[in-house]
Amino acid sequence: MIHENELWILSFYRRSEISGALFFGRLAQTVRAGAIQRDLTKHFSDESLHAWYWTDCIEKLGAKPIALDHSYQDQYIEAAGLPGNIMEILAITQVFEKRVIGQYALHRALPGLPPEVESTLQRIMQDEKWHIQWVGDALVSLEAEYGKEHIAKTIERYAAADRKVYERTLDEHSGRLEALIAQRRGRRGAP
Amino acid sequence: MIDPKAVRGWISTFLRLQPGRAVDGAVLTDLVTESFVLVQLVIDLQEEFGIRLSGEDLRDVRSVGDLITTITSRG
Repeated sequence: MIHENELWILSFYRRSEISGALFFGRLAQTVRAGAIQRDLTKHFSDESLHAWYWTDCIEKLGAKPIALDHSYQDQYIEAAGLPGNIMEILAITQVFEKRVIGQYALHRALPGLPPEVESTLQRIMQDEKWHIQWVGDALVSLEAEYGKEHIAKTIERYAAADRKVYERTLDEHSGRLEALIAQRRGRRGAP
Repeated sequence: MIDPKAVRGWISTFLRLQPGRAVDGAVLTDLVTESFVLVQLVIDLQEEFGIRLSGEDLRDVRSVGDLITTITSRG
């Protein structure tokens, strides 16, 4: 049976993937036709698929997703302010995607990971690498319009906001992850 | 020149607000369930009214009135 802390974390991932899917889905409707619209639409499709992977993973572990009312992304606007154009949206997306892949890598390094969780993390991390790549390419394509230096400064501004959001989120996450590690070590050490 | 009434009407329609809710003092984050809806609103408003904004322009925008002023000042 899945541990309460693990269920919370997986449900949080699921909720964040749903938020991402809804956001990119809306955005894919709004942006002008072209390479960015095409890749945004694929990104939207990936995020919704990831939400499905987590739902399926939680069910295979014999549980049901917890309905959480907040995601990691919801805190971004508060910390970083409202992005005003597609370049700023892509800059915030790049920062966020790097955070996601880092968080998933940390989770994957946990001892005693259930195979269902490990395979789900592995599948999603493959897609996340492409997300970082296409967003990076799109930002390069916008350099003529917004300026290379301005884009770099924007990314740095959002990275600073991300660090603040992560510090806040980390309190709850690290507590739950530490409890999970302690529980697994105890289980492995038990006679 | 951008008509403030047109912007208010557009915000109201986009957010599917009941008549009279898109007043100047209405706080934008109180009008939506997901903050990212506001991102789409801002992008759509720029497309609709042919203007270009940045996050810096929106830094002090909190209410419907603030947003209308920001949009119309660019027209």
